[in-house]
Amino acid sequence: MTIVPEHPWIWAGLFAYAIATVAALKYVLFPGQKAKASQSAKYETLILGSIIIGVILLAVGLGVRWDRLGHGPFVNLFELLTSQLFSLGLIYAIVYWRIPLLRPSAVVVMPLIWILGTWVLLLEPKDSTYPPTYFNDWLWAHVGFGKIFLSFCLVAAGLAGILLIRGLDRFKNLFSTMPDSLLDQMAWRFMMLALVFDSLMLIAGAVWAQDAWGRYWSWDALETSSFMTWLSIGAGIHARLTYNINVRIGALAILAIFGLAFMTYFGTPYYSEAAHKGVI
Amino acid sequence: MMLKWLASTRLTLVGMLCLAVGAGLSYDNPATTSAWVLITPLGLLAINLFAAILSQPGINRRPGLLFFHIGLLGICVLSAIGQLSTLEGHVELSLGSAFHPSEINDVKQGPWHRGNISKVQFVQGEFTVDYSPRLMRGPTRSYVQVSDAHGNWSEKVVGDDTPLIIDGYRFYTTFNKGFAAVLTWTPVNGSPVTGAVHMPSYPLFEHKQDNRWTPPGESQELKLWLRLNTAYDPENAWVLDLDSATGVLVVNDLDDRVELSPGESVILSGGELRFDQITSWMGYKVFYDPTLKALFFSAILAVFGLFFHYWRKFSDQPMSQISTQ
Repeated sequence: MTIVPEHPWIWAGLFAYAIATVAALKYVLFPGQKAKASQSAKYETLILGSIIIGVILLAVGLGVRWDRLGHGPFVNLFELLTSQLFSLGLIYAIVYWRIPLLRPSAVVVMPLIWILGTWVLLLEPKDSTYPPTYFNDWLWAHVGFGKIFLSFCLVAAGLAGILLIRGLDRFKNLFSTMPDSLLDQMAWRFMMLALVFDSLMLIAGAVWAQDAWGRYWSWDALETSSFMTWLSIGAGIHARLTYNINVRIGALAILAIFGLAFMTYFGTPYYSEAAHKGVI
Repeated sequence: MMLKWLASTRLTLVGMLCLAVGAGLSYDNPATTSAWVLITPLGLLAINLFAAILSQPGINRRPGLLFFHIGLLGICVLSAIGQLSTLEGHVELSLGSAFHPSEINDVKQGPWHRGNISKVQFVQGEFTVDYSPRLMRGPTRSYVQVSDAHGNWSEKVVGDDTPLIIDGYRFYTTFNKGFAAVLTWTPVNGSPVTGAVHMPSYPLFEHKQDNRWTPPGESQELKLWLRLNTAYDPENAWVLDLDSATGVLVVNDLDDRVELSPGESVILSGGELRFDQITSWMGYKVFYDPTLKALFFSAILAVFGLFFHYWRKFSDQPMSQISTQ
């Protein structure tokens, strides 16, 4: 693998995320650590601090690459994954900080973030060329809304994951102050917020596509997959209103939607060479 | 009873499932997939939305949800109208030539198309395209002369994400552009006719700048090869520009092979062929959809309605209250 100047920053950022992941797992998975409030505060500070340091280091890494190549991290998979690691960490850190009750979700969220981190470590950091159609302000809106959307999906997936794993005896104390029904409500709230930002992402993307390629919608790989994700969130919300769905089935649905969103972002390049038609 | 059934969320779920199947079948726009796989579920969902807006107090008494569903209904209706009144196609224009609707190729026109494309007037000027090393295409700048309603002409620069928009018709530059040979054919006992023969897209087909052409009134096809000298350099940055292009035209007429420099001519069996000069041509995508702005505002209405609804819902019951219930 080629070593590029931004690599040390990205590796350091991932190391900080790794500390947060290990701390989250250790705090939750080993029962001896969980009882005392002082222990809890110590672990939470360590997790939040590590995520923030990771976000800062990744931001520096992205900045170094931006300065070196002359354009933002929007083109190849290495850039997309690294910038997602940054934005997911940033938004999750804000949620973690502002809503202390959701903090145990780190045990699911951080390993999910680390799946991306491992992937980044395996990718060749090829230099990319900025396509002329990317010099468009709507790209920023499209990408920005997409990052918020995926982050809210991630938080919902974290809560859904907690709902599922606390069915096991060993983890029954996770979120012990909240019954399943309330945890389910909170998870779906994040899916509802995700729907708002997913809709904004699709609108901004359509305007950009109209300017860039002369069509606002063309059922290319990314468009089809992102529409399916939008539809699945809408269907999930309607199904929950219509039927008395078991919270664990609802949690599975949230994880499936997150999986679909994840595939839209990171799987599409594997089955479509040009994710957006005419991109170059 | 009927309205209640039409407004049910169960029907919404059925419509969404059908739409997901339709979307899956429409991936990559296969020629074998009928447009009805999308039109049918969208129609069903539009009826469902309309019935729900009329009859569901959960929607029509909550302003945010009401606007969201009206916005969605608007998107369904407007996208259908857009498809019925659209015009899409491609056109190639050589330097100095005026746009004419009859030259549009691959036309896809909706049955309700009412635009007046014959009013569109512009003339193609020169263009440049920047290339980075390894033939990565950079910005395109295409200069066109546009006529206004009073017959005054002005220059506009279009390219990439800046289309030329005239009377709702949008002209987008494409990767499809190249060089052409301007020829004058003077038949025996006839008047001279001048035109341009476009060579394949450049630099995509840099190695194959040839075409076949039959002079007007003749039956014998000629093979033409434009042997170009340009600044083409796949390893370094360069600019595709007519000003830096020179070359000769190789004409094959059965067994004869003649090389013509600009201004030279050759006598053939039916007349005289003169190679006037090398010129360039730009390929445009043509797009017309009168619903674009309304569609955008409908989508914005929907998403802000949804945002407003959740804002009120979450403000009424903050996360901290949920968690302590």
